[in-house]
Amino acid sequence: MSKYQKICKKIAQLSPEVSVKEERGCIVLRGEVDSWETAVNAGKLAAKDAQYIGVVNDIRLKGFVEHPRLPLEHDASLDEMRPDVLIIGGGITGCAIARELSKWKLNTVLVEKGPDVAYGQSRANGGVVHVGINFSKHSQKHYYNIRGNSMYAELSKQLDVPFEQKGQVLLCCKKWERLLVGALKLHGKSMGIRGVCWLGREELLKHEPCAPDFVIGGMYMPTGGITSPMEMTAALAENASANGVRLFLNTAVLDMETKNGHIVSVDTNRGRLYPKLVINAAGVYSDKIAEMAGDRTFTIHPRRGTDIITDKKAGYMVKTSMEKSPFSILPYQNSQIPRGPLGRIKFMMNILHSNTKGIGLIHSIHGNMLIGPNAIETPDREDTATRREEVEEIIKVQQHVATDLKFSDIIAYFTGVRSATYEEDFVVRRGIFTDNIIEAAGIQSPGVTAAPAIAVDISKWAVEALSSNMAVKKNDSFDPVRHAPPRLAHMNEQERNALILKNPDYGVIICRCEEISKGEILDALNSPLCVPTLDGIKRRLRPGMGRCQGGFCSPLVMQIIAEHEGIPLSEVKKSSVESVVTFGETKGAAV
Amino acid sequence: MTNTDVIVIGGGPAGLAAAIAAKKAGAEVLLIEREARLGGILKQCIHDGFGLVRFGEKLSGPEYAERFIQKFDEANIEALTLTFVTKIEKTPEGIRLTAVNRNGVVQLLSKALVLATGCRERTAKQIFIHGTRPSGIFTAGTAQHFINLLGQMPTKKCVILGSGDIGLIMARRITLEGGKVVGVYEAKSTPSGLTRNIYQCLYDYDIPLYLSKTVTRVFGDDRLAAVEVCSVDENMRPIEETFEIVECDSLILSVGLIPENELAENLGVELDPRTKGPVCDEHLMTSVDGVFSCGNALHVNDLVDYVSESGECAGKAAANFLRRERTEIELIIGKNVQYLIPQRLDLNAEDLKTVLYFRSREVLQKNSLILTVDGCDVYRKWFSVLRPPEMERVEFDFGPLGLTPQSQVYFRIEEVERT
Repeated sequence: MSKYQKICKKIAQLSPEVSVKEERGCIVLRGEVDSWETAVNAGKLAAKDAQYIGVVNDIRLKGFVEHPRLPLEHDASLDEMRPDVLIIGGGITGCAIARELSKWKLNTVLVEKGPDVAYGQSRANGGVVHVGINFSKHSQKHYYNIRGNSMYAELSKQLDVPFEQKGQVLLCCKKWERLLVGALKLHGKSMGIRGVCWLGREELLKHEPCAPDFVIGGMYMPTGGITSPMEMTAALAENASANGVRLFLNTAVLDMETKNGHIVSVDTNRGRLYPKLVINAAGVYSDKIAEMAGDRTFTIHPRRGTDIITDKKAGYMVKTSMEKSPFSILPYQNSQIPRGPLGRIKFMMNILHSNTKGIGLIHSIHGNMLIGPNAIETPDREDTATRREEVEEIIKVQQHVATDLKFSDIIAYFTGVRSATYEEDFVVRRGIFTDNIIEAAGIQSPGVTAAPAIAVDISKWAVEALSSNMAVKKNDSFDPVRHAPPRLAHMNEQERNALILKNPDYGVIICRCEEISKGEILDALNSPLCVPTLDGIKRRLRPGMGRCQGGFCSPLVMQIIAEHEGIPLSEVKKSSVESVVTFGETKGAAV
Repeated sequence: MTNTDVIVIGGGPAGLAAAIAAKKAGAEVLLIEREARLGGILKQCIHDGFGLVRFGEKLSGPEYAERFIQKFDEANIEALTLTFVTKIEKTPEGIRLTAVNRNGVVQLLSKALVLATGCRERTAKQIFIHGTRPSGIFTAGTAQHFINLLGQMPTKKCVILGSGDIGLIMARRITLEGGKVVGVYEAKSTPSGLTRNIYQCLYDYDIPLYLSKTVTRVFGDDRLAAVEVCSVDENMRPIEETFEIVECDSLILSVGLIPENELAENLGVELDPRTKGPVCDEHLMTSVDGVFSCGNALHVNDLVDYVSESGECAGKAAANFLRRERTEIELIIGKNVQYLIPQRLDLNAEDLKTVLYFRSREVLQKNSLILTVDGCDVYRKWFSVLRPPEMERVEFDFGPLGLTPQSQVYFRIEEVERT
């Protein structure tokens, strides 16, 4: 039986409703099933055979209709535009590509469907700059992660974005785990990951003073780091914009016209564009964009992940980013281990494959502790709603590692949706079936780490592709440096005093939890990528992200926005056009 | 560097009373307030009912505050408004504060410090409400800020979660402004707010109060579209079969207040997990010598009259603060007592006449507060009813008891015959 026949047989066993075909080098699944799990499992089975370019899984879930959230804006501001490059997606990948391309004299346009950059996975993200020890040596994830990791320090400096490299720690509870960790260490070495070492408990406590008592030691990986994905994305976008890239928010790609494997035009809610080259960095929608362009060889199966944020007061519980080793059985689980060998293996497999296996503790760049994320398959690409049972489970599991953790330490939690492919790898490549597209698709974790490296390759390919029809010159005026506006709470008293003397608004504290002044909010409103909404300010400066969650400061921030923009208070929105905060003046607002 | 006897942080009712009392006791006083105007949260509390205990009058919040602001001005006390404290340290010379305002970074030094930093509201995330992230979810205080200070209507049709006083007040306020309040939902089986507010703010306006029901989830991508409500069991866990969806454009939360003690924590002040405020002696001095606490930073009060009273106590004591040894004993609480303030008694004090504030754990009819010293009942006070939302106040002179550092002082609430 051929591999193809084997897959067909297995999928037929899974569901008779699913048809399997080989098309254009891909394995294509179609049909309609009752459970999303079946659809995902069929995709996973199809991905087992590496001879295909990828899995195109078009199995529908009965009764499920997708409702992509599209911007309400409709105008012709982009109509008839003929950019050299059109980047679709303003996440960290798209913005990193935009900045990289701004090193060239090109007419580059970036469109983002959301009301801000970093509106998808890039915002719902712990900010770990990964070591990448768990990736396969031949994966794109490894290829770009290791390069991206080594670029972060320099890039963060150029863009004035906070970055710390305190390492990553894998905690071990039992002596025998040292053997497995040893294997992982060798694997790391063969992949070129430097500095990985075993630390006994005493040494480990120097890095993680709050490691629980049952931890006998752990693997320390010094290249692990932490960034602020939102700040990094905004900085990349600002720098790209300063170097000539035009960014359009609230702009969604709706359709494309292709002819003989060539994209002719791209329709958006703001008009029809005629780009020479399209770059697909559309995150959870990247397979949809590839489909429009006729270049689809993969499928996004959205995977939700929830993270929990604690008060900074609980930030001491973790100093790096740490998680228990995937093999570890925590003391509380000892009693659950079945007696027989088969039962034990099954038990271990369950631990290795549980929805919470990848959950760790992260010391965020702002000093909070971040707990998460879990991993739950979902048919809905934009299902960022949080769920009680999931949050409770994450906390329950992590209370065994962060033993001081209390429910009252938690100030917020959020859910993001990963753009996972069935190959569980990035799709970073030139177009296969379409000549003027480049894919930066299926970028999920470690996308934040990998983005700068992906951008280098994509920009190189873009310049090569364009050079066949035009002369692409270096942008001599490219300035790699971006200065972040001042953050006064991080300054010493002399610096702070000097700035307040220059601008007294820096002395007026608006957000008491995160200590943010009126002057800093005005800076954000005057920044090149100004998003004058409550969330736009919150995402850049963090008012509303502290323990009061905006209770005190949101009316004040709204007043500052209204005054700066010259609009009535009721016109200041939380985020999208429809996210109204107040309905206008009292008395006049009667139903 | 400004050098003074007493610094008061916070210009709400507690801080104003503390500053006035400290000045009256002869101290040089400086008050620091982060907002532009004095009065604290009272500025936005335009309903009446303030000052019944203290003045025998029903005042609005701003009126009540104004009485103190006038006295504050008459006493010529210095205030730094729009000034935010960024750092506090204890040094051999005294307590050193760093603050910022429009003039720059200010350094201050004082012999004693009164923390009158108030409290903040619990948020939707802290009570584990799940779902999407639309606009339209406000704490009651934020909704009150919009309506009463900014003249902006934050809702047309809302659900209120929690029957705390601000939530009840806001139910009436929103109704008066033409908004619809679908209902007030309370997870507990008894209301959290004052009884008078249940009648005056809900029943008088036909607003339903749903007990043992809570909100578990919110819906809506942009603006809130609906909430999921359900009944809860005795352990506050949702009961599966009772989920229902209620359409509304706002969810207003009145689910508890948390004393703000981040500055106190930086100074190493010991906090009482029951009150979430500092552990204090009868002069409201915290575990750190020279640092006092009052008002809602000390514990969440239900009447402003008692906020002012604790401010006066702390302010006066701060003015008279002398560095001396304390001999403290713990006031132990037991049966049916949710908390008691003060938590400790300094036996070295000249005067042991003490104002005690306490709350019962649950609603109790015909019960007594009983004080036991070394196993002997020495005091009891009878109450026809005790309700957790209603704080009780008792004055007691520990002086005649002849307490020693070894004394076991124990408070409990028990059903005993009225004597």
